[in-house]
Amino acid sequence: MRFNVILRYVGAVMLCLSAFMAVSAGISLVSNDAGFYPLLLSALLTLLLGAFPMIFVSKADSITSKEGFMIVVGSWVLSCVVGMFPYLIWGGEFTLVNAWFESVSGFTTTGASILTDIEALPQGLLFWRSATNWIGGVGVVMFALLILPSLGTNKMALSGIELSSLAKDNYRYRTQMVVKILLTIYIGLTIIATLLLKVSGMRWFDAVNHAMSACATGGFSTKNASVGFYDSPLIEWILIVVMFMSSLHYGLIYSTFTRKANNIFRSEVVRVYVAIIVGATLLIGASLYFSDTYENIFTSLRQSVFQVVSLISTTGFATANTNLWTPFAIVILIILSIICGCAGSTSGGAKVDRVLLYGKVLKARLRGQQHPNAIIRIRLDGILQEDRQVNTVTLFLTTYFVLILLGTLSSALFGMDLLSAFSSSVAFIGNVGKGFGAVGSLDNYAELPSILKIQGSILMLMGRLEIFGFIQFLFIRMWR
Amino acid sequence: MKGIGKRVTVAFLSIVALLSVSGVISLFELSNLSYDTEAILSANSRDMEVAKELLSSAHDHSRAMMDVAIFGNEQYRTMCDEALTHLDSNIALVRDKAPLAVQGSLDTLAMYSADLRRLSENYSTTESVVIDSLTVEVHKVDGRGWYVSTYEPAYNRFVDQTKRYINLSHGQLAPRAAQLSKNVYRSVAPVLISLFVMIAIVLMFYYFVYIYGVKPILKINRALSDYLSFKLPFKPKAEMIDEIKELHDNVENLVNISKSNQKQSENAI
Repeated sequence: MRFNVILRYVGAVMLCLSAFMAVSAGISLVSNDAGFYPLLLSALLTLLLGAFPMIFVSKADSITSKEGFMIVVGSWVLSCVVGMFPYLIWGGEFTLVNAWFESVSGFTTTGASILTDIEALPQGLLFWRSATNWIGGVGVVMFALLILPSLGTNKMALSGIELSSLAKDNYRYRTQMVVKILLTIYIGLTIIATLLLKVSGMRWFDAVNHAMSACATGGFSTKNASVGFYDSPLIEWILIVVMFMSSLHYGLIYSTFTRKANNIFRSEVVRVYVAIIVGATLLIGASLYFSDTYENIFTSLRQSVFQVVSLISTTGFATANTNLWTPFAIVILIILSIICGCAGSTSGGAKVDRVLLYGKVLKARLRGQQHPNAIIRIRLDGILQEDRQVNTVTLFLTTYFVLILLGTLSSALFGMDLLSAFSSSVAFIGNVGKGFGAVGSLDNYAELPSILKIQGSILMLMGRLEIFGFIQFLFIRMWR
Repeated sequence: MKGIGKRVTVAFLSIVALLSVSGVISLFELSNLSYDTEAILSANSRDMEVAKELLSSAHDHSRAMMDVAIFGNEQYRTMCDEALTHLDSNIALVRDKAPLAVQGSLDTLAMYSADLRRLSENYSTTESVVIDSLTVEVHKVDGRGWYVSTYEPAYNRFVDQTKRYINLSHGQLAPRAAQLSKNVYRSVAPVLISLFVMIAIVLMFYYFVYIYGVKPILKINRALSDYLSFKLPFKPKAEMIDEIKELHDNVENLVNISKSNQKQSENAI
């Protein structure tokens, strides 16, 4: 394994981050706030960290999968480290642990915050928070692949590691094309969302930040009351559409716009995903209406659909205090926080593809018991799933639940109530950001003990790196 | 970038630049911190001094009024006037530099000071009582009664208000002191983070200099020694760039020339 090559490519990612910090510093300069020096110094430090390996290490002709893996995981971890520089230098509520939590939460698009007063933050830092969401949404390495031509032929190796195997299934294109598709849809969706939010009454600054956050399914808002601050049905509907689009497979969105056969309307996964959303919305809406939480059925459905899409897409925007909703609604929302969006999107979590595949495996096993000699093939979106793939998904889901239980146990050990402990673990590993109880939709994680904040940040990283990515990193020396 | 010399120079300059920038920012923050500390300390000492002066002047005035009213010593009137002038000048002095939040308290203090002045100026040891249209009798005023019932409450109001002003003024310093501790953090944080980054850069610098500079030279040297001692082929295993690569190529050429010369001399024999 060539560490110099790994350092060079991780350095390229740092250069990207430095550019975003410089833009944030520019925003601080224009708005004449206290975030300018922290952001400028952070940009310079990150630039140096990124440029230094570039000075010494020449472009590698090829990289091995082990090196590629190290580049991806190293980039994620180091991005989170440099991402906390502006917070640490600015001070305020950001202690070392808080800054690390906020940075990891940003890059992993979790959207959980330790800030008790978000609006007190300078505009530059608010933009940097949203930028971490936006960069993390498409994947820090993928982002570098998108904008750094110097990475050249190694794009394939790196994007192959950054994208999960399920996500790759629906990309029936060459790697260069996949990267271009991601870029086009991601930036296009962000621009459209910004314009629509602006037209619907948001300030330019808020529109850009919310659009970045929604497209990344991150959930960082510039307001303490999140989207609820605006109390505007129009803004809510725009964000519902953007969050929903962002939680679909980008390859399928591209195919739909280019009128290819494998499009959103023909995808089995998308059909199941939409059915889950519609079903959950109706059930929660009815529950809210009949429990007199809201005055009429329309408001109940509006609140219900926003929260359903916000949680299943792993965004975590809030328009209502869901702690006040019925236990039935809360249980459904927790289940949605576990299922999450589609593979190949910006959302995290277990992914609806895996849940669907798991259901098919169960069905196949039952049929196998009834017809022992039958050869039962499992297909997902028309693609035949090999045993290895099926086993991986089963193992992933098992590990996912074990980690949630371990997280719950550990949180309970530090005095959290069961609902808060369980929902926060689900919110961390699924990169949802918002839980229930003490960590509800309008609450924050400021009161969490430092040890639980660190545990939460590890769960967030594990969730973002699809669990095994993170575990493999710990055993990299044993990898042959 | 080509040339090991250039690479090392750029790397070194990067470290210097990093140190300079973080140093300048820390200096800037430290000078702000020093300015703030000085401002808080001077505000605090000014408040203490003025409060002491106000209480002392009020006390002088009370003593003088006691002499005038109870003991009938009219010569203490001058002392009364001096104490009041001192009182007013101190209030005016503190009002100039006081923050907006304590201005209300100072207004009340000025009003109570004006009360003292009014009582002091209007007080007379005798009073004329009209008996009828032709007779006016002059009586001596009960100074002790006037002092206890009229003057002393006004004096106490002034003293209490001065104490309230001191508390309020100190209360105003607390958030500034809290802000100061934040500023201390802000002036130290850039240095600590720069230090962290510099350690990372220095480690990378060491690593790169070792793998691109030291290690290839050691390998070339060992391969050359092996060739000279045991006639092993000259094939050093290290990643080489720039001048080190040139050095390797030149040594390899030299070894090849030496080999061909040796072959020629063997053939000649």
